[in-house]
Amino acid sequence: MSKNFLRLASLLAVGMLILAACGDGDSSDTTTGGDAEPAATAAPADGGETFEIFALLPQGNDQPYGTTYLPPFEAKAAELGLNVTITNSQYDADKQASECEVAVAANPDLIILWPAVGDTVRPCLEAANAAGIPVTVTNSDLNPEDQELSAAYSGPDTYGQGVASAEIFCELAGGEDVGIIMVNGLTGNSTAIDREAGFEDTINEQCPNVTILARQPGNWNKDESQIAASEMITAVGAENIGGAYAADDTMVAGVIDAFKAQGIDPASLIITSIGNTFLGNPLVVSGELDGTVFQSSSWDGENAAVVAHQVLTESPSERIVLFMPSVPVTADNADDPSVAPEW
Amino acid sequence: MTHQQGISLGEAPGGAMNRLRRTLARRTEGRALALLIIVVIVTAIMEPIAFTAYEVTLGRIALIGLVALGLTAVILMGELDLAVASTLAVAGVVMASIDNLALGILTALVVGLVIGAVNAFFVVVVGINSFIATLGMLFFLRGAAFVLSGEEPVRLSDIDAGIAFGKPLIGDLTPRMLLFILAFLALHIFVTRVRAGREFYAVGGNRQAAYDAGIPVRRRIFTGFMISGFVAALAGIINTLERTAADPTAGSTVLLASFAAAIIGGVLLTGGRGSVFGTLLGAASLGILQVALTLSGVQVDVQNIVIGSVLFIAVITDPNSLRSVLGSARSFFRGRSRASPTQ
Repeated sequence: MSKNFLRLASLLAVGMLILAACGDGDSSDTTTGGDAEPAATAAPADGGETFEIFALLPQGNDQPYGTTYLPPFEAKAAELGLNVTITNSQYDADKQASECEVAVAANPDLIILWPAVGDTVRPCLEAANAAGIPVTVTNSDLNPEDQELSAAYSGPDTYGQGVASAEIFCELAGGEDVGIIMVNGLTGNSTAIDREAGFEDTINEQCPNVTILARQPGNWNKDESQIAASEMITAVGAENIGGAYAADDTMVAGVIDAFKAQGIDPASLIITSIGNTFLGNPLVVSGELDGTVFQSSSWDGENAAVVAHQVLTESPSERIVLFMPSVPVTADNADDPSVAPEW
Repeated sequence: MTHQQGISLGEAPGGAMNRLRRTLARRTEGRALALLIIVVIVTAIMEPIAFTAYEVTLGRIALIGLVALGLTAVILMGELDLAVASTLAVAGVVMASIDNLALGILTALVVGLVIGAVNAFFVVVVGINSFIATLGMLFFLRGAAFVLSGEEPVRLSDIDAGIAFGKPLIGDLTPRMLLFILAFLALHIFVTRVRAGREFYAVGGNRQAAYDAGIPVRRRIFTGFMISGFVAALAGIINTLERTAADPTAGSTVLLASFAAAIIGGVLLTGGRGSVFGTLLGAASLGILQVALTLSGVQVDVQNIVIGSVLFIAVITDPNSLRSVLGSARSFFRGRSRASPTQ
């Protein structure tokens, strides 16, 4: 017994010593640029300086938005001389926190952060700040109390998108009393929370005649949204429903299918969402979706790189905030090339 | 009697070689150790920063390994606990919902123990298969986490305490790593030195024989599930403290990673064979691999392929699987050679 325990303890000690020896020998490496191989090497078009950066994203090629966000991001980064190492936490806050630790240890010139769960990123921001690594935020902004720990934000005004969607709704509702069902994004996700708040605050303010009868998360997924909508239609009664709001076009397609499955013509209801995607735009054209809000994934990806480069080269004293324009898309402008869907 | 002595004392002829062969045959960690050596060598060549920044790698191993350690106690008895990730989420939410940090931690640990006891009750008293019982608990607890949190992340009342918890306590070791080491030592000693823990192997190896031998099987299963629930709750507390908020969606990648660590570590899913040390080796292999792949900027889809392949190799190189494959192949070829003259 004791021999076994001694063997085990020796093995553990040897393991620790190996790790510690590696750590002692090259401890300077962790603070002088690191050895991480970037996903893509870049040389700036103007022959200027190159930078090593980490992009901590919660999605990538596993989601439609990420699939169309990444190419313009990588292209613009290469053009600006940013060598990017990209991670994908799949919306797992613990995984993203661990990836942040890896990124800080690699000591890049900058970290681009797309928070998986906004409330959980403060330790990551503090660690990066303590290591002197600037952080810029993309797609979903930080909580107000954490924003001072980042140098910039670029991306949609997620609260403003909810507002824009509600404004379309209020205009169409006029003074009528309308009961609606609401399908939100992934629970706890900052974009989902902001859009919900933006929509709800605006209808309370501008059209209090619109009442939210039921709400459920659709997890950014069409099938889950359809199930959630079907349950809500059954629960509150189809005769009481005059409209619906979904936090993105993928989910609104599920809501529309749920109405159709119950023999309700979606064109007779007021339905709005956010995105103007390949799925949502044709629904606007067909009249099943009354309005959506354009979100450009290419703008988002491209400007993540642009803002990161700006922070690295200009070291601005104030936090940069670059909002994507929230353009309402209705049947009137759905065919306009300036709002052509991207994802 | 003579025969029994021969088995228990292991005095078969052949000397040191035989003793070594018997020891190797008895141990289950061989594959995990071989894999760890390969992973360490490849990582040291390709991504040495994974070792120079060893505190990050140790943190990742602790993240994967803690829940896996608790899970090992259940798997050793031939049972499964699919509810560990949901237990982690609920414990985090419970802890963050209580303003007094110490009281919150204590309550969360008690919640973990109670969840384990309820799981064991369904398995032992009601007689439901542990896969089904804990699958039900998985859904129940995930829903409970959303309800308790109001479907939003719950921030700690004392964020500074959370941030301080994430800082190194002894040398470069953070409280997470220290708690992981303590949990490992406690569980290792329990299943190797304490009679109740050693009886886990008997319960998993041959339950009827364990009953016949007078082992309190039901009590042991209760103990195993309560250990698993307690350790999962501990992981939830640590995650919540380090992230400064409890996320009701937490642990989405924990369940599969924990099972993978235990299986790679040589723990037999049908029970009776395996060790806590093997799980540690499995978690170390996975943790180092994940950090190295993240540093390399390898897409998460490719990371999953690599980890899946490692798991697959670990399963098919199990001596029993190999013996069975070789046996089948031998019978197949023998059958063909017998059949060929008549054709």
